[in-house]
Amino acid sequence: LQTHSLSLSLQAKMSRPVQARRLEGIDKNIWVEFVKLAATYSKVNLGQGFPDFPAPDFLTEAFTRALSGGNHMLHQYTRGFGHPPLVKVLAQFFEKLLGRDLDPMTNVMVTVGAYQALFCCFQAFVDEGDEVIIIEPFFDCYEPMVKMAGGTPVFVPLRPNPPKDGKLMSSADWQLDPAELASKFSERTKAIVLNSPNNPLGKVFSRGELGLIAELCVKHDVLCISDEVYEWLVYDGKQHIRMASLQGMWDRTVIIGSAGKTFSVTGWKVGWAVGPDRLLQHLRTVHQNSVYHCATIAQEAVAQGFQREVMLYGKPESYFVQLPKELQQKRDWLVQSLDGVGMKPIVPEGTYFLVADISQFKSDVPDVPNSDEPYDYRFAKWMVKNKGLAAIPLSAFYSEAHKNNYTNFIRFCFAKEEATLKAANDILQKWKLEKTSS
Amino acid sequence: MFLASRNFCCRGIRTCQLRTDLLSRSIKHSASATMPFRHKNTRRIEGLDSNVWVEFTKVAADPSIVNLGQGLPDISPPTYVKEELAKVAAVDRLNQYTRGFGHPSLVKALSQVYERVFGRKIDPLTDVLVTVGAYGSLFSTIQALIEEGDEVIIIEPFYDCYEPMVKMAGAKPVFIPLRCKNDGNSASSADWVLDRAELANKFNSKTKAIILNTPHNPIGKVFTREELQVIADLCIKHDTLCISDEVYEWLVYKGNKHIKIAMLPGMWERTVTIGSAGKTYSVTGWKLGWSIGPEYLIKHLQVVHQNTLYTCPTPLQEALAQAFWIDYKRMDEPDCYFYSLSRELESKRDRMAQLLKEAGLKPVIPDGGYFMIVDVSTLNVDLSGVDEKQPYDYKFVKWMIACKKLSAIPLSAFCGPETKKQFEKYIRFCFIKKDSTLDAAEVILKNWNKQTG
Repeated sequence: LQTHSLSLSLQAKMSRPVQARRLEGIDKNIWVEFVKLAATYSKVNLGQGFPDFPAPDFLTEAFTRALSGGNHMLHQYTRGFGHPPLVKVLAQFFEKLLGRDLDPMTNVMVTVGAYQALFCCFQAFVDEGDEVIIIEPFFDCYEPMVKMAGGTPVFVPLRPNPPKDGKLMSSADWQLDPAELASKFSERTKAIVLNSPNNPLGKVFSRGELGLIAELCVKHDVLCISDEVYEWLVYDGKQHIRMASLQGMWDRTVIIGSAGKTFSVTGWKVGWAVGPDRLLQHLRTVHQNSVYHCATIAQEAVAQGFQREVMLYGKPESYFVQLPKELQQKRDWLVQSLDGVGMKPIVPEGTYFLVADISQFKSDVPDVPNSDEPYDYRFAKWMVKNKGLAAIPLSAFYSEAHKNNYTNFIRFCFAKEEATLKAANDILQKWKLEKTSS
Repeated sequence: MFLASRNFCCRGIRTCQLRTDLLSRSIKHSASATMPFRHKNTRRIEGLDSNVWVEFTKVAADPSIVNLGQGLPDISPPTYVKEELAKVAAVDRLNQYTRGFGHPSLVKALSQVYERVFGRKIDPLTDVLVTVGAYGSLFSTIQALIEEGDEVIIIEPFYDCYEPMVKMAGAKPVFIPLRCKNDGNSASSADWVLDRAELANKFNSKTKAIILNTPHNPIGKVFTREELQVIADLCIKHDTLCISDEVYEWLVYKGNKHIKIAMLPGMWERTVTIGSAGKTYSVTGWKLGWSIGPEYLIKHLQVVHQNTLYTCPTPLQEALAQAFWIDYKRMDEPDCYFYSLSRELESKRDRMAQLLKEAGLKPVIPDGGYFMIVDVSTLNVDLSGVDEKQPYDYKFVKWMIACKKLSAIPLSAFCGPETKKQFEKYIRFCFIKKDSTLDAAEVILKNWNKQTG
């Protein structure tokens, strides 16, 4: 009887396979799992990359002003490819940074976060059989997005070259091997994804390193999808260099940016793509056939935020000067904190992430023989459940084939209030004491 | 490609440059673009670059034009909705990421409202996905469930994005037109019906889905239970999905009832029902929509979502959730915005119809939605001088914008290639407009015959 009623209820569903093949192999997602874990167990969340300090006043005030301004048309559709005040100020801003004229209508497109700009790039340019070079470790969405577009991801690792003098490692010590990189380019290579400053390592690619990549792009006629969401978060007086400003690169680069990272409002989901019209036109086609418009009011407020920054560019009150200054201090604080308990931080040159070597803590996490989960996954899960401290395993940022290459590292986000970082330190100190006393 | 046409227009009016974004297709050669460039668009977007909205919203953006074209309200959203968003702006944590598949308080509110509507349990975490507008839901559904080798039935006229989205998924759109049953003499949207035998013939073993839009844009048809049953029977017989675009679900006028196809026997398990905050609360610029359906279908939409934009804006979702709670509590009362908006729009509908009749036109009175179509061929406007390859209604609307300062949308934008001839004498007006806009339209329509030139 049970089988009969079971088959009846199954009959009600579609009997043919429902999902499209483009979803094959892309259904798993680290954030779905780890965000849930953090929500359930964490007392201190240094996992997912978002600030726990408030967004800047001038921006939230702009949002409020837009709402109270009596222009109720801000609740209606705006221009699909980007709210005019926003694309205008973005063009104005990036003109200066790139040293070239930009047309707000054709060289700029607004997207639902940088995430959607990435999606548009892959859908616009990657066909079945195309190869896309991804530098490991990488922001996890690049791989499934390439696959969903029918492309083949080709991975090339940043390799750690530890300093000989026993100093702490820096993200600068993780480098591409030039010959290895060159070997990844083939006639099927459509694009390379560059992320500088890099999530998760915090590496800020030097002019020389970018030049190497640029040369190969020009030689092989390859596009560069340049994810620069952390462009303002650069420390120690380093400079963020824009790939599109290198010789031969403007015409083959799409620059991606994010209001979420620029203005500490990840929840507003406003991003953009900047590039030559002959590339952006295809992003527009994808955009108009997928989401078409982005929310008006958030764009209006971000536009006002940028208008303020245009006026204050380079000045001490500029948010783009203040934010990295604050974050550098937090970085240094966390570096000290981790170093003090025996986790070895890799000092990031940029972003608000920091990767640390946890091999000294191995003994705490129970050994699970024949587990197919890399050690750092088990460590991060154990840590959040038992210590209430959330972080992300580094192997989450590696391809399936390379997940076991680096299993002793976890990523912390330090875009957090002093109190949060202090609480993290308290947990770590207590943990260290427990280990030394056991 | 349309360019400014100098012999178009009216006395004393300077040539109107009606540029369109299509012009950006002409490649501007920069100095460094001399190298060979193989980076064309992918196959999936081949031929999908033009878009009626990109063309017409630019043109109608001129503030001197009375805009009854694009479907966007110029009435204010309800005060409490704006207030909820203002409250949210002050809450710090709401400026950061929320749950990818939908902000918890919003999916909870949606599940409560729709449990009442569907009459069944709806799990907020597995049966609901929040997307960037209903547009995003359509995209997620199609990308999740449709692929090369599939056929998708689209009823004409159709909201224009269905066709390119189906094509972008590599599938084949199969069109079937609504036909006017009174020999072209249509007074009501109910006169437009599907031929049952014709519809049955469109289904075959490759038919993966049918896209249903009720209440219907642009005609305003509200499919009856009987009509829905015909579609449902075919879906079940051919094991086909139903993608049900119900964004205008609350905008149904007296004597009509919106029926959800997912509630028909055997249909819940094969239907994704799509809704829109923009249409429900007159906030098209919030770009929030949702897909509701059985977990085993919605989970695939969630996979698409997590690989396309991951999460929707937090503050807007929170404000929307609060608005829904307010109306959920009064779902049994006439004051509920779901019902009060449609009452407000019914009188605008009637006014719009009256104005068009006075201009000598015969509008098709919609049973739902906020659009009205009208046959303009009876005006006999001579557009033969316009040197254009576009259908009659495109030319008519451009002429009307330039010379009458009134905008609408040509209906052939909503048709497949075979049916363009059938619909090119119709244009679509949007009537979710404030009184002063309708007043301005009235002036133009009353003076229409005095100014033919």
